[in-house]
Amino acid sequence: MLASDTKLLPAVGFLTVVEHPEHGFFGGFLVLNAMARPLEFHCTAPVRPNRAQEILYGTTLRPFLIGEHIGNALVQKAKTKIQLICTDLEPAIAVRNVNSTPVILLCSNSEEGESSTPVPRALRVDERHPEVPATSRPLVRFQLGTHEVAIPDAYEADRTAVEKCFKVCDGTLDLTEPFERIREAIEEAQKSAR
Amino acid sequence: MKRLKKHRNQLADQRSAGSFAVMKNQNRPFATVPIHLSASELGFRVNNFSTGLQTALGRLPKTEVESADLALFAPRTVSVNVRSSAIKIGSFTFPESAEFLQDADSKSCRDDKKSQGTQQVAAASKLAERSTRIKPPNDVVKLQDRLYYLLQPPLESLLATNSLQFQFQPFPYQYEGVAFLFSRYSAILADEMGLGKTIQAITAIRILLRSGEMRRVLMICPKPLVTNWQREFKIWAPEIPVAVIEGDQSKRRWQWENPIAPVKIANYELLMRDRCCVVDKQIDFDLVVLDEAQRIKNRNSTTSQVVRAVSRKRSWALTGTPIENSPDDLVGIFEFLSPGYLNSDMQPRKMAGAIRDYVLRRTKDQVLSDMPPKLFRDAEVTLTPEQWSSYETAENEGVINLADLGAELTIQHVFELVLRLKQICNFDPATGASAKMERLEADLEEVVASGKKAIVFSQWVRTLEKIHERLQRFGPLQYHGKVPSKHRDRVIERFKEDPCHSVILMSYGAGSVGLNLQFCEYVFLFDRWWNPAVEDQAINRAHRIGVAGPVTVSRMLVRDTIEERINQVLEEKREMFASIFSENAPPRSSGMSQEEIFGLFDLQIQKSSQTNAA
Repeated sequence: MLASDTKLLPAVGFLTVVEHPEHGFFGGFLVLNAMARPLEFHCTAPVRPNRAQEILYGTTLRPFLIGEHIGNALVQKAKTKIQLICTDLEPAIAVRNVNSTPVILLCSNSEEGESSTPVPRALRVDERHPEVPATSRPLVRFQLGTHEVAIPDAYEADRTAVEKCFKVCDGTLDLTEPFERIREAIEEAQKSAR
Repeated sequence: MKRLKKHRNQLADQRSAGSFAVMKNQNRPFATVPIHLSASELGFRVNNFSTGLQTALGRLPKTEVESADLALFAPRTVSVNVRSSAIKIGSFTFPESAEFLQDADSKSCRDDKKSQGTQQVAAASKLAERSTRIKPPNDVVKLQDRLYYLLQPPLESLLATNSLQFQFQPFPYQYEGVAFLFSRYSAILADEMGLGKTIQAITAIRILLRSGEMRRVLMICPKPLVTNWQREFKIWAPEIPVAVIEGDQSKRRWQWENPIAPVKIANYELLMRDRCCVVDKQIDFDLVVLDEAQRIKNRNSTTSQVVRAVSRKRSWALTGTPIENSPDDLVGIFEFLSPGYLNSDMQPRKMAGAIRDYVLRRTKDQVLSDMPPKLFRDAEVTLTPEQWSSYETAENEGVINLADLGAELTIQHVFELVLRLKQICNFDPATGASAKMERLEADLEEVVASGKKAIVFSQWVRTLEKIHERLQRFGPLQYHGKVPSKHRDRVIERFKEDPCHSVILMSYGAGSVGLNLQFCEYVFLFDRWWNPAVEDQAINRAHRIGVAGPVTVSRMLVRDTIEERINQVLEEKREMFASIFSENAPPRSSGMSQEEIFGLFDLQIQKSSQTNAA
C-alpha cells in the first residue's frame, strides 16, 4: 500500500477503561491508522468517583464516569481527526452524548470487557435500586463485517458514517484486537508511574 | 373540651370587667388552667365580713404574658459538587513514518484489494488466533518508546495486512524471533542450528525496511554463505533489493560509498580488505548483522576490530554457537553489540542474568516437538594392522619428541602430534589402508540401496579426496576449500537434483554452516572435530526444518586411539557445561583447553605455552 494512500484512510479511535479495585478507573484511548499502526495514545491517571457521585448519579454513574467524563477527556486530547470511535464497554458509548464522532460498541467483547469487579450500585442505604442497563437508551445492533456492533438509538443516523468508514478500512483493521494493546499499555504506564 | 370552651367564653365576657386572672401552669398549659372568679360573678350570695382581708381580694392578680413565634426556621443548605475535577491525562504520539512503503507488486495489490479484502480479514483472524506481540526490550526506559513497541499490532496481523506474503508460513517460534529482533538495537539470535535464524533475520529486516524505520543494512557472513543469503532474501523478501559487495577494489569502494541497495552483503574476508572504506564514518548503516557471529569471539582479532568499527545504529548477531570454548566467546560478541557490557571476570550466573534480555536461544527439542529425531550411532572401528603399526610408531616417537622439547614445548607441538595420529586413524599413510573407509563403504551400500543420500564430513581435504577415489560407484561430489566459491552452488544443486550423486563429501570448514541439505537422511563424521559445536553445525545441515525423516548420524571412532581419548574429554565437558544457557537450553559443550590437550599425552602445560586452544 502506498504511504500516500494510508494518509487518506480514516483514523479510528479505540476507547476502553480498566478498573482497578484499589485505584479506580484507568482510561485508555488508542488512535490507529487504517493499517492498525498506532498514531496516538492517551491514558488517564486513576479516576475514582466520590461518595456524592456514587449516590447522586445512581445507576447512571458508569455511563457518566466512563463515557462522558473519562471518555470525553481522552477523545478531546486526540490531535488526529478521528472518524470512528470503537469501544468494548457499554457505558463508554455515552461519550457520544458529549462528542460528535460516531461511537460503536463491539458487542461480542462487551460482556468480556466489563469488569468482573462489581461497581457500587447500592447508591442509597435506605433504598434498593432496580437493576437497570448502564445506558438509559436502548441500542441499535447491526453487523459490521464479522463484528456485531451497536450504537445508541438516539444516534442511529451515525450508522451510515460508521459503515462507510469501516468499508474503507475493511481488510486491514481488526476491531477487537486493539483493546488488548490498550490494556497492556495502561499497565505499562501504571508500572512507570510507580 | 366543651367545658373548657364554656369557661373560655365566660372569661372573655369577664375580661372587660377586669375581674379574672389566668394563672400559668407550666406543666399543663391547657388541660387544667385554674380560674378564679368572684362569688357575685357566679351569682352566689356572699357575706362580707370586716376582717381586713377583703381589700386583698379586690386587688388584681399579677399577669404574665408569653409570645410564641409560629414561623419556621430558615434551612441551612450544603452544596455538593458532583462534577469531577479535570482528569490528568498522559499523551503520546508516534511517528507518521510507520507506514508500509510501496513494493514492486503493490500496484497490482491495490487493484486487487477489494477482492482480497475478505481473504485478508480471514487470514488476519486466523493469524490472530496465534498473535505474537512485540515487547519492548528492558533497556528501553522511556515510556513513550516502550509504548511504541507495546502498541504495535501483532506481528501476524502486521504482516497479513501489509501484503508481506511468505512462500511458506513461518513457525510460531520464528514469529517470536522476528518480534524479538524488531524491537532490539542489540541482539543475539542464538537458536540451535536448523531452526531458521536466516528467515527470522530477513523477515525482521524486511519489516523494518518496509516500515521506513531502516534504510541501510549491512549483512556480514562467511564467504561461502554469500550466495546462500542472496538466495534466502529472494525467497523471504523478494521485493527488497540486495547487493553483494564484490569485484575489484575501485568497484567495491563505489559499492560501499553509494546506496546501491537497501541491503548490502559482504563477507568477513572482504571486510578486512576494505577496512579503510568500512570504518569511514561517512559510511553509516542503520543495521549491521553478523552471521556466524562466533567469528568475532576473539576480541583482539582484526576481524572483530574491523567489524566493531563499522558505524551503525543497530547490531544483531546470529550464531548457533554463541559459546564455543568459554564464556569469553560471548564477551567477544557483546563487544560488538554493547561494548563493555560483559567482562571476562563475570560469574556465569551473573552473566546469564545480564544477557537474558539480549539473547534469544531455542533448541529443536523446545520448539519442534514434531521434528523427526536425530539418531546418533557411534561407529567404533579397530585400526587395520597396517594402521596400528604406523599409529604406534608415530605415537611413541611423538611423545618422546615432545618430552625432549622440555621448556620449549608448546601447544602447537602437541597439536601436530594429535593431527598426525588422527590422520593415521583415517588412512594409513604408507598403504592407504583404512578401517573407517571399510566401514563407511559398507554403510553407504545400504544407504544408496535404499535410495537415500548421505553427507560425509572430514576436517581434511586430502582425506576427502581419498574417500572420493574409493566411493566412485556412488557418484560422490566434493564441497570444500579447494572447490571454487562460484562452483559451490552448482555442486549443491547437482547433489540435490541428480539421483546419480548419492554422496557429498564436505569439509567442516566449508560445509558446516549455512547450507540446507535436509533431503539427506544420513550424516557420517569420518573424523571428529575438536569442538562438538562445529560437529553439531555440520549435522544440522541435514537435520533442519523440512527434513522428511529421522537423520542418522554415524560418528566414526577408532578404539584405543587418540580419537577415543578426545571423545571422552569432550563428552565429559558436554555434561559438565551447565551455566550460561542452562535456563533456556541444554548447555553447549566447549572445545578442549590447553590442559586437556596436553593431558592427552600426560604432558604438563608450560606457562609460556598458554594460548587459546581449539
